[in-house]
Amino acid sequence: MTGTIIENLSGRKLAVLVTFLLLCQLTCFLIGGLVAPMPANAQMMIATVCKDTTTVKNDTTKWFYNRGKGACQNIGLENLHHDLSETDFVFAFQMPLPRENMILDYSRWQQNLIGVLQIDIKYHSLMEIQPRSVITIDARMAYRNKGDPEEQWRLYTRSVEKRNLDCDIEIKSEHHLYNCSAMPLFELGSLFHDYYLLNIRLPVETPDMNSHIGHIHDMSLIVINQNGGFTKVWVSLKSVFFPSIVAILVWFWRRIHMLQRKPVLLEKMLLSLGLALCLLNMPLEYLTLYFDLPFMLLLGDIRQGIFYSMLFSFWLVFAGEHMLIQDTSTQSSLKQYWRHLSAVATGCASLFIFDMCERGMQLRNPFYSIWVTDIGTNLALTFIILAGISTGIYFLFLCYMIWQVFINISHKRQSLPTMCSVRRLHYEGIIYRFKFLMLATLLCAALTIIGFTLGQVAEGQWKWDENIELEYTSAFFTGVYGMWNIYIFALLVLYAPSHKQWPAVEDTSDTQNLSEEIEFTPLQERSSEISSLTSFLKKATID
Amino acid sequence: MASSSVFRFLVLLAALIWILADEKNVTRERKRSPINGSWFNMGLMEFEKWSNQSGIFTERSRLCARIRGLTPGQRRVCRRHKDHMPVVSDGVKKGIGECQYQFQGRRWNCTVMGETVFGPLTFIASRETAFTHAITAAGVSVAVSRACRDGRLTSCGCGTGPRPRNLHSDWVWGGCGDDLEYGYKFTEGFVDIREREGKVKRGSREQGRQLMNRHNNEAGRRAVIAKSRVTCKCHGVSGSCSLITCWQQLASFREIGDYLRDRYEGATEVKVSRRGKLRLRNPRYSLPTAQDLVYLEESPNYCVKNESLGSLGTSGRECNRTSLGLDGCSLLCCGRGYNTKRIMMKERCQCKFHWCCHVKCNTCVKSTELYTCK
Repeated sequence: MTGTIIENLSGRKLAVLVTFLLLCQLTCFLIGGLVAPMPANAQMMIATVCKDTTTVKNDTTKWFYNRGKGACQNIGLENLHHDLSETDFVFAFQMPLPRENMILDYSRWQQNLIGVLQIDIKYHSLMEIQPRSVITIDARMAYRNKGDPEEQWRLYTRSVEKRNLDCDIEIKSEHHLYNCSAMPLFELGSLFHDYYLLNIRLPVETPDMNSHIGHIHDMSLIVINQNGGFTKVWVSLKSVFFPSIVAILVWFWRRIHMLQRKPVLLEKMLLSLGLALCLLNMPLEYLTLYFDLPFMLLLGDIRQGIFYSMLFSFWLVFAGEHMLIQDTSTQSSLKQYWRHLSAVATGCASLFIFDMCERGMQLRNPFYSIWVTDIGTNLALTFIILAGISTGIYFLFLCYMIWQVFINISHKRQSLPTMCSVRRLHYEGIIYRFKFLMLATLLCAALTIIGFTLGQVAEGQWKWDENIELEYTSAFFTGVYGMWNIYIFALLVLYAPSHKQWPAVEDTSDTQNLSEEIEFTPLQERSSEISSLTSFLKKATID
Repeated sequence: MASSSVFRFLVLLAALIWILADEKNVTRERKRSPINGSWFNMGLMEFEKWSNQSGIFTERSRLCARIRGLTPGQRRVCRRHKDHMPVVSDGVKKGIGECQYQFQGRRWNCTVMGETVFGPLTFIASRETAFTHAITAAGVSVAVSRACRDGRLTSCGCGTGPRPRNLHSDWVWGGCGDDLEYGYKFTEGFVDIREREGKVKRGSREQGRQLMNRHNNEAGRRAVIAKSRVTCKCHGVSGSCSLITCWQQLASFREIGDYLRDRYEGATEVKVSRRGKLRLRNPRYSLPTAQDLVYLEESPNYCVKNESLGSLGTSGRECNRTSLGLDGCSLLCCGRGYNTKRIMMKERCQCKFHWCCHVKCNTCVKSTELYTCK
């Protein structure tokens, strides 16, 4: 005899709840906009060209850096001496740069470090870059911690990498620079140490190696790290959301167990959606402050992937459960949705494989990139296109199902006038609330997409002299994150089984209503205690 | 009684005018004196030699007193930022070099004349002066930004406020500001301070000159920002563009030079109004923006040699016989005709390069004709 809470909730209570949730949403948005700094920060550094006079170039204990005790001998690339050979050059980047007369160091709050290499090549009529040139880079990375002696750099990782040079030039005249696109160099999943050092050499072991890359004028490295302030705000949001979602899940599960029946598919789906959100909310970032966990980037991707795949599957099942095309006598199960869900599964699987190929490989070698080789590029593109296609198919399915639900509802609505007025009003209310939740879902999705697009446009036109007080990108992130949390919170609350009995709701109404309640009861019981909207629709089909 | 007071008043007025006029003469004399010169001569200094001396950037070193051409205000900035001075010098050097590249083959070719760098030409508020101010400001701005990026300057800005109280936690919290901004602001502080010092009469020629210099310096600094490129990197979930970070990439100085030369061609002539503002000389033209160059006076005739104006004349300059442009013999020689000389030239040709240092060239001997203006 029970329905879900949304059906039994009075309009006033619903309004209070919705207002409260909207206020939470606004808070999330404002926290991102006013408190948090932008999510990531880029620092650009120009290479110091060091002279390597040692005969053994393979020595990974010898490091070149430009600041502190034991700094290297600096040479300019402008006027080269002929007694130097290619192997005598080392491009050194010491991270982070000093600022305001202070030696800065990385904090573990800054989470990760991404390096992008930018090579400036001077035009030389005798040394034009050929299209699709490949540059071979011998990259070595070292780290040092606070308190270590200034010359004690320890090897972090080392790799010889190939990258494609993608350069063009407008005015072909001497001293003009090629416009080369930046190439991703490395991605560190954890920023555990205090100082990092990158030494780059351009080896010429075979005659063809690095012979078509022109005259290098400058090399600069852009290091991008997450901002500590953003991490702090993010983690605190998680620390608030995680317990509240766990609490509401426990409450939801207890409510279901208090019923005599077994949980239906929709409830199971809601529960797993809640669990996926809990997994996403778990503030694991605290661990990175004490342990070196390079897999955090990958784990974050996987957690997000699981959550979104659960959300997508939930929408499908949600729409399907209100469609009632299938046989009403059987308990619906996940098997009925295998065709629809396979689209989600394919999309997620291909994205997962792509992520494992890129970020998974980067656990072993931070300099790894899948986009360098032709096979890798094709493979990556295949997986991404596959994921795109399955997303497209999924949305087609979803739109079709939602359309059918609405058609069904409007059909059934035509039979409403034959009912008595109180009951009709009640059912109209339920349909209205179902539509309302549908609308909320659409609104959330639309807001995410609009926010994302605006962010892309805003970032594209980024210039430093625009002083914007509101940190838009952070606001978008915290806003969207909060929105989905609140959305699922609302679902868990509103779709939990209600303890209110039908008559209790109708207590204030007239006696005529009670008699109709008795008429209605057998049907309600037969349809095994699921949401009264579905039962109502089922009743109409049976009729 | 009345006439005597009028007379007394007139005498006082005359005395006042005389004193003012005299003061003006004095200031002009001082400005023209070669000792004070221009700060541009920092570009001629050899800081590399100095940097071998230890303790040059320490508190007690007399570095700033040894740089000639600085105003008291600039000297103050210098004392606060001693380590910036080699970088500034480098920037000015770059600016002068670029000026010479952009104006090679023109009647005025940005010749460096001794300690004041551009000689008496500096005193004429012409288009060329406007360009020199812009290109040096741009040069310093670029040099400072670059020095921030290679870690040579340790005092580059970080926080967005005037000076963060606890830099380390500020940096962890929100990262550092842009180096381009620091370069811009430092240049503004160091270069424009000249034009704010010294009392000048509102609406006078001197004030006009100050306004013009400030406008052109600003145009030079803005050119650096206008030509910088924004590059972005996506690093969101699975490397998607849900998270995107952008940075400013400095353009090559040649590009900035090209841009500023275009501004030079389209420079606007202005005059100073009585209220002390710059006004268009010809109201039919459109107003100059902050990126445009402005000038107050017509350029002198660069065809003929005039020592007092700083014009070297074009006789003896090399010209291009076939060109119809400004470097062509007819225009460059101002119609005086040219001399032809046949010479043999040794050239490096058929060079083969490796990425840095292996250059294998053949030497070719070419005979060419050299044309010089009469």
